Amino acid sequence: MIKLLHVEDDADIREIALMALELSGDFDVVQCETGEAALKQVQSYTPDVILLDMMMPGMTGRQTLEKMREMDSLRDVPAIFMTARAQHNEIEELRDLGAADVISKPFDPIALADQVKAAMQAA
Amino acid sequence: MSSKLINKRTAATFFLGTAISGSWYTATSALLTGEIVPVVGAIVLAGLAPFGVNALRPGGNGSLDSHDMAQRLRAFDSHAIVNILDTCGVLKQVNDRFIELTGYTRDQLIGQPVSMLYNERSRELAAEMRAALKQGKTWQGETPLRCADGRVIQTQCTVMPLFNKNGDWTGSISARTDVTHANELLAERDTAETLYELRDDIWIVDAETHRFSYMNRVAMSRTGWRTEPYSERTLDDLAEKSGSHAILEACQSLAASGKVMAQFDTEMFGSHFQVTVKLLPIGGKAGRFLIMLNDISDIIDEERMKSEFISMVSHELRSPLTSIKGSMGLLLSRAAGELPSKARALLEISHRNADRLVLIINDILDLEKISTGQLEFNLEETDIAELLRETSAANSSLEQRHGVRIQVENTDTPMQVTTDPNRVIQVLTNFLSNAAKFSKPGERITIRAEENDHELRISVSDRGQGIPASEEHKVFQRFADLSNSKRAEKGGTGLGLSVCKAIVENLGGKIGFDSREGFGTTFYFTLPKKNSQVAAEETASLLREAS
Repeated sequence: MIKLLHVEDDADIREIALMALELSGDFDVVQCETGEAALKQVQSYTPDVILLDMMMPGMTGRQTLEKMREMDSLRDVPAIFMTARAQHNEIEELRDLGAADVISKPFDPIALADQVKAAMQAA
Repeated sequence: MSSKLINKRTAATFFLGTAISGSWYTATSALLTGEIVPVVGAIVLAGLAPFGVNALRPGGNGSLDSHDMAQRLRAFDSHAIVNILDTCGVLKQVNDRFIELTGYTRDQLIGQPVSMLYNERSRELAAEMRAALKQGKTWQGETPLRCADGRVIQTQCTVMPLFNKNGDWTGSISARTDVTHANELLAERDTAETLYELRDDIWIVDAETHRFSYMNRVAMSRTGWRTEPYSERTLDDLAEKSGSHAILEACQSLAASGKVMAQFDTEMFGSHFQVTVKLLPIGGKAGRFLIMLNDISDIIDEERMKSEFISMVSHELRSPLTSIKGSMGLLLSRAAGELPSKARALLEISHRNADRLVLIINDILDLEKISTGQLEFNLEETDIAELLRETSAANSSLEQRHGVRIQVENTDTPMQVTTDPNRVIQVLTNFLSNAAKFSKPGERITIRAEENDHELRISVSDRGQGIPASEEHKVFQRFADLSNSKRAEKGGTGLGLSVCKAIVENLGGKIGFDSREGFGTTFYFTLPKKNSQVAAEETASLLREAS
């Protein structure tokens, strides 16, 4: 099972992503509502892959990842951003930040599991 | 001629007619009999009324004797431009002043229709004038007169009807004053006042010394030189004060290059300006710079706010759409079990329209970015042949959805061009999607690339219903509803082709289509090919200018 940490402030999107990932049967999903909560979570939980929303109240997805990268245990964990701002330059910036992939919102829930696996493989 | 036989109208006609032909003294002698003097005087002076000489009207300070009258009429003749017409508008008589001012000879005028002196405006007034005269009324107003050399002079004119002894209308007499110069002075004064009160800053500076020779009110206020005379200042003083180096540089560049105008945006005095610098030569030499500063800070703020608003709304719409589309997608994938067929059909409609909404939001965002010059283009060396094959494969789902066949032609050899491959794919995908929507199942869609020395031409042809000739002009318009498009039914956004046009033009190409109703349509676009590096640099430069 792939341990996936999903950070997303929208409860509906969390639920859809959870259902979509569980459908594949390959993921053990832990979800957090904020970047701050995610940073607490990773003290006791080391994921294999991180799925991060970009725009969140409080810490943004980018700030959350920057903090996580400071932790030895998370330095090389593939991170995938989900964003409604999917302009070419923004995607490039996120990749420069170490993102394994950038998934545009709205995303296709049926394709989500495969997209995450492909990004992990590429990373 | 006995004065007793002459009624008042006839006396006036006789007198003025004689006077205008140049025989003032003949006319005056006829007046000496006494009875007609006040009548003629009244008519003449009525004609002078618009010129502010009512004080001359007899009766105000005693009776008018014939000597006085003759002198005053002489003064009138030397002042006014006078002519007499018959009822058909043919010139019967003109005075010397008329000849002098219009430049015609008397022979060129007498017997000719007065319309030879008209321009468009006087023709409009002629009908009005004629109607007044027929009713025995005097007409007054400003009328133009065309001179022999083509000039048009403005005259303040009084026209009075003339009658014979039976009281029949026999023609008219016009007395005019040339007001062209007065009008020009008024216009110049208005222009100067307008310039002074203009919202834009206006500076005029000497091209050599850069010394200010004029500043309007807002310019003085902004520079703070209202009290200090600006004529003691130069552009260099201002550059130090406000950081307006760009203007100084533009002036120097214009003077050196021989160009006459430069336009650019710059920040000065804490505001954002669109600046126009114009070199006004005097006597073949560089004379003065006219510098106009249009404060566009408000426009820029508005555009930024509008852009932010559209961006925010579009992104805010994406979050609920993610949930809506995601839920429907999971339901359609049977994540929650099998659905009744009717429920599934309804859900498919919802899902399809949610997809459409996403496309509309994307197109709106693209158009907004294009209009503000923020749409990014990443140019790179691209093999278009390979790109077409890849795009065709990526759009294979259209074949299943619409039952069409997509075929790529003429892509066996590489076709290199410097362009933005992602934007080319975006245009091509839009063409393919349209072609598939408007094709019948089983029909073929052809993607084709052709090249010549200058450019690549990429086309997508379908054998669908075509575009009515009467509606071809609407095709690239935003939200254009073509009569046979069934946009809502087909899932179009109404923006796709507008976006494609903007993209292609930004890439230095052209977009178009050939269509025959009932036989199909070919949409195509070109990309500059020859010297692709140069073209790319030009494109990049254009993009920089646009942004």
